[in-house]
Amino acid sequence: MNYCQECQVSVNGEWLSCPLCHQPLEKVSDMPTPNPYPDIPLRFNKQQVLRILTSISIATISIALIIELLFLRSPRGLNIISFGIVSMWLVVLIIIRKRRNIAKSIVYLIISLSLLSIYWDYVEGWSAWSTTHAVPMICIFALIAMYIAVRLVKIEVGDYILYLLCAALIGLIPAIFLFFNWVTDPVPAWLSIGLSTIMLIVTFIFYRGEVLRELKKRMMV
Amino acid sequence: MKRKNWVRLDNASNIFLASVTDFDTKVFRLSATLEEAIDPILLQLALDKNFEAYPLYRSVLRRGVFWYYLEESDLKPQVQLDEQPPCSQLYHFDRKELLFRVVYYQNRIHLEVFHALSDGTGAMWFFEDLLSEYVFLQNDFVSAEISKESSQSERVVDSEHTDSFIHHFRHKGQRSYAVATQSAIRKLAGASKTAGKFALNYGKKAMQYEMTDKEKKKKRKKVYQIKGKRTIDNRTHVVELNMSVQPVLKLAHEQNASLTIYLTALFIEAIRKTNPIVEDGMTIAVSVPVNLRQFYDSTSARNFFSTTHLEYTYDPSEKTNLAVICKTLKEQLQQQLSSNSLETRLNKLIAYEFNPLTRVIFRPIKDGILKIINYFNNRRLTFAMSNLGSVHLPQSIDEKVHQFYFQTSAVRPQFCVISHQDYLSICLNSPFVETTLYKQFVRDLTALGVAITISANKIDGLELRGEQN
Repeated sequence: MNYCQECQVSVNGEWLSCPLCHQPLEKVSDMPTPNPYPDIPLRFNKQQVLRILTSISIATISIALIIELLFLRSPRGLNIISFGIVSMWLVVLIIIRKRRNIAKSIVYLIISLSLLSIYWDYVEGWSAWSTTHAVPMICIFALIAMYIAVRLVKIEVGDYILYLLCAALIGLIPAIFLFFNWVTDPVPAWLSIGLSTIMLIVTFIFYRGEVLRELKKRMMV
Repeated sequence: MKRKNWVRLDNASNIFLASVTDFDTKVFRLSATLEEAIDPILLQLALDKNFEAYPLYRSVLRRGVFWYYLEESDLKPQVQLDEQPPCSQLYHFDRKELLFRVVYYQNRIHLEVFHALSDGTGAMWFFEDLLSEYVFLQNDFVSAEISKESSQSERVVDSEHTDSFIHHFRHKGQRSYAVATQSAIRKLAGASKTAGKFALNYGKKAMQYEMTDKEKKKKRKKVYQIKGKRTIDNRTHVVELNMSVQPVLKLAHEQNASLTIYLTALFIEAIRKTNPIVEDGMTIAVSVPVNLRQFYDSTSARNFFSTTHLEYTYDPSEKTNLAVICKTLKEQLQQQLSSNSLETRLNKLIAYEFNPLTRVIFRPIKDGILKIINYFNNRRLTFAMSNLGSVHLPQSIDEKVHQFYFQTSAVRPQFCVISHQDYLSICLNSPFVETTLYKQFVRDLTALGVAITISANKIDGLELRGEQN
């Protein structure tokens, strides 16, 4: 046991200086009493790593942009690069934030990537490639991806069923594109509508009770 | 497939979720020391057995559109070696995990609980039963080695000594998940809608009345905030003080105060001594939780406490001493513990829980609002103290358990008090590196003749490395 003359306290553990006043301790007995608080190494400092990674990314991105601006002088390339960067960050952030819920992260990805592609199309002078190809394709493959993911990871039905339902409902949105004639080729939109409808019917037949229970739980007022 | 039970989390517990941060994890820790080093296998057995009797502890926290809810889970708790800083995060966003953990180190058993699940008193029930179970198992094993017969007779004696009434009575109310997980306030209100409406009106009136009178006064006050440098990895800085109850009680009685009031007053003085600007008319405000079970008949293991707000304003023209502070605090506490004042407070809580407006607000918005409320609450406080009082165990177990300790994660410097037999433990918790305030508080106590032994956790790399060399 060690003793601090200044604070007049006995100190448990192998402290050399007083934990309160940081003055050297006096040894009272040779038998050190163990500290009930184990030495726990500093935890990994996440924030710092994230900060470093972000600054490196920003530096790389700015260099790429400067090269693009000064030497290639093509505004279209600049557009593509910046949209690429935005979608990269979007995907990374969504995956990090929703990493514990695959189904939810897929729904978030469908929505954000679709909106991003529509905006991109709009900025580039609207050739309707986003509503014709991009959005329906995102919807179709996201549904397939979600189906595979929930099978592989084996999450409970209750945990993904509402997100599957959401994704299937979003997959019906290309019907609006068809209705307003925002498409140059109707096939992808029809494919998306078809797959979504099948998913909805399957969900309705097999998982109706589960969906209602989950809705009741989550919408509890 | 077995359908999972679930229950909505009450508003009172929602505030804990809204105010969780990396350094203020809203986790508290109850610890006890036994004679010998803890046997993890026995502890696991005791935990498994005890876990059965407490359905509330099976819950995981989920997020709905309007509310958080507790869902029954199949997860099984595992005892762990103490390898994380005290009161480390228990609830992680989107992850299904139990809201408590049982940890051991040397001869200590720790129970850490997320505050949205239960309060100190509720958790103490679980902890006491866990300790009893452990001690029983341990004794059985010891006697089994000597002779089987004697073990049996010992068992009989043991169960006679156990205050089984308390133990069984508690369990009875908690067998079913739905009952165990219900909010304590809802239980008290009988969950009737009329009660809710009545309480809403009553609560509103009471609130208006309270606002006009009290708020005006509060605005002029400058509440002192303790500032400091955060620990590197957000761990809670702990300095644990161990002493004998009697000398401190004697000191408190000399000032005609309870232990809670006396220690609070001492801490207020320590703050003044370390920060001279306080003397120029600043207010030191402290929040002290009060267990409502002592006023209302409730066996709920859920959160059931109210907080009292005590404060002392230094007047530069007057000379203050400990006695004056004790007297002021005592009067404030008595006033807030009057049945009238408690009733108002409880009605307000019921009103919140049943308020149709707060019900339909989306949960993320609710969280935001609660965060703001919490921010302003924090601004009105200098520190917090919590006293769990004196722990009494059934006789046969009482001898085997030496000392209890109690601490929480901290958003600001604060302290927790608990006693058992003649041992008093005060845990000073803080998110800051600095020890000036702790030092002052401890020196004030030792100067009064109290013998103190301290233990502390290491908070920076230098300390950790320095010790290894």
